[in-house]
Amino acid sequence: MPSKNNLREAIRLRRMADAVPPAMDAREAALAAHERDKTLTKHHFEPSEHPCVRIEHLMKTFDGETQVLTDVNLTVWPGEVVCVLGPSGSGKSTMLRCINLLETPTAGHILIEDNEITGHLLAADVNKLRQNLGMVFQSFNLFPHLTAKGNVMIGQTKVLKKSKEEAEREALKQLDAVGLLDRADFKPAQLSGGQQQRVAIARAVAMHPDILLFDEPTSALDPELVRGVLDVMRDLAENGGMTMIVVTHEMGFAREVADRVVFMEGGVVVEQGKPEDVFDHPQNERTAQFLGSIN
Amino acid sequence: MGHTDRRRQRGLLVTLCAVVCAFVMLAPSTAWGLTTSKATARPNEEGGSSVIGGLPTRLTWEGTVDDGEEVTAVTLRLPEGGSFDGASTKVTVLQGLTRSELATEVAPEGPQLKVTFVDPATQGLLLRLEVEGMKFPAKGGDVVVEGTYVNQDGEKPLAASKPIATIANTPLQSLLASLDANPVVKAWNSSQFLGMFFKPQLLVTAFATLVPGWFLCLVIVLVAYPIAILLGLVFALMKISRHRVLRAIAIVYINILRGTPLFLQIYIMFFGLPMMNINIDNNVLGVIVIAINASAYLAEIFRAGIESIPPGQYEAAASLGMGHMMTMLNIILPQTVRRVMPTVTSDFITSYKDTSLLSSVGVMELMMFAKNLTSVSGNMTPYVAAAIFYLIVTLPLIKVVTTVEKRMAKSERGGGARPKVKAKDVAAAEAEQDDIALGGVVDAQ
Repeated sequence: MPSKNNLREAIRLRRMADAVPPAMDAREAALAAHERDKTLTKHHFEPSEHPCVRIEHLMKTFDGETQVLTDVNLTVWPGEVVCVLGPSGSGKSTMLRCINLLETPTAGHILIEDNEITGHLLAADVNKLRQNLGMVFQSFNLFPHLTAKGNVMIGQTKVLKKSKEEAEREALKQLDAVGLLDRADFKPAQLSGGQQQRVAIARAVAMHPDILLFDEPTSALDPELVRGVLDVMRDLAENGGMTMIVVTHEMGFAREVADRVVFMEGGVVVEQGKPEDVFDHPQNERTAQFLGSIN
Repeated sequence: MGHTDRRRQRGLLVTLCAVVCAFVMLAPSTAWGLTTSKATARPNEEGGSSVIGGLPTRLTWEGTVDDGEEVTAVTLRLPEGGSFDGASTKVTVLQGLTRSELATEVAPEGPQLKVTFVDPATQGLLLRLEVEGMKFPAKGGDVVVEGTYVNQDGEKPLAASKPIATIANTPLQSLLASLDANPVVKAWNSSQFLGMFFKPQLLVTAFATLVPGWFLCLVIVLVAYPIAILLGLVFALMKISRHRVLRAIAIVYINILRGTPLFLQIYIMFFGLPMMNINIDNNVLGVIVIAINASAYLAEIFRAGIESIPPGQYEAAASLGMGHMMTMLNIILPQTVRRVMPTVTSDFITSYKDTSLLSSVGVMELMMFAKNLTSVSGNMTPYVAAAIFYLIVTLPLIKVVTTVEKRMAKSERGGGARPKVKAKDVAAAEAEQDDIALGGVVDAQ
């Protein structure tokens, strides 16, 4: 969790990195991004729409030496499903974690719905921002002391200040949507990994975020449990119309569900485009090599 | 019946009246012929100082023979329930400092004891009766020894003695008496080790007398511990705080308290505060010292517990939009509580045992009572009884710690009972499982 000190440190570093140009005017930027992205995604969007997430020249350095993100540029449109692929250590997860400020960007800009989140943000604003960004973790991170239902309820009651009854109704609805209504009273330890991850998805969705971030949601699962989680995610994408950024190694899922596939390597976006373009005719040598190595 | 008869009768009546009148008129003017100067009883409580009714003890009665008296017999009488049966009486006669022998006949009979002097005891003599093996009434209370004495003028009442305070013969006292009489117990006690550490009589007495001390121990630790938990939590949060000053304060507090003996802390508080004219009740101060000492250990336990919560929990809470305080209260602390429960219970056991150190500064807790009883009886058994009192609390808690630890380990592996799933839901879940199994992998490249 970034502390106030970390944020101040980040601002200091950003001022040092003066070479980075400031964010463009929102409207201008939207049009430019629109122009750039329309051939890269299967998602249909209107010229009047503004991007959900706009990442510009994002840089992240750990401990002042390990540079994980060099220069990441990415635009995500409302309702778009973006799958981020790449070898481990390429900075996929770090980029995702920068979007909801679990990591503080060292330099560059991130705009969520045209609001800059990099720079000086009050803790309250960070919390507000995160309500709109659901996150699903590789290791589920369910709260072990709460039941499945309790896990889905706690954000609603404590953050959204919903009544218990209302939160419970919503929780049961979301658990039903992920096929776990009958496990509502189970503790996380009593659920399989796949079930836990589906509860985690229900927990994120119950907050009704604008964007869902998935950080390798199936990597920690036994192969036979992966399918259930992917089905839930596919349902969210196809029927829920949810904007999703998915860091994953599931090529099949990326090919079938994603509007756009982004390939990252060495802290930059190496290649992006429609799934069939990237998978079948990779332009970049590293992308081809990576896809070849896992197929 | 003639005149002479009637006249004689009348003469007798007049004489009788005169004698009675003379007696009634004279009696108040004369001092007691035999003055009761002392009536005491020897304590017969095991390790105590009370006189218990219904159990054999020794009554010492003393009386002084007044001027011109010749006492030929003394009869002592106990209130109802008292008994001289089977008692052996030693009669001593003292004149000034010289002890003289008088031939006596002693006849104990129920609540009465008659001592007859073959040669009358004369003026200035101190009569001392030591009646070994007599019993006071079992119901207890203040007992007054009364009686009569016989002098040259006949039988006269004795002045009542000062009351002797006795306590009722409880089941405990009867038990002790029966233990005293039991040959097995006698044989047991004849072993030096058993008699010194496990003397049944003292064990029974100690159990009865140590209870207030045991209660004080429990009260001290039960009042101190919640305070210690709150203090410990505050210092734990300070120690993991972002603010350097708070961290420094917490580190100094925790390290000093954990780095010095509790015994020393007790001495400083109990002797230091009064020197600064701060006078706090011993028991309250005991609570404060134990609470402060335990809080340092608890702070470390809580800190370790909080830090053992994986960062993913903070991240998950943050992702839901929870602030730092909200995360701590709703996510981190509830999990910490579960994790530290066994360690905190162990620490509670330590604090409970540590109350014994308060005996060194005069807090009347368990150890103090045991020490007192041992110094009265010269026997180690009260300490053994105290050990049992400590174990009554600690053993079940140790058991609880072990059980909770086992259960936690089991539940972390995903074991343990599951909530009931409705039959309909089970069918649905199985169908879903089949679906997944038949569905194969999505990745069908």
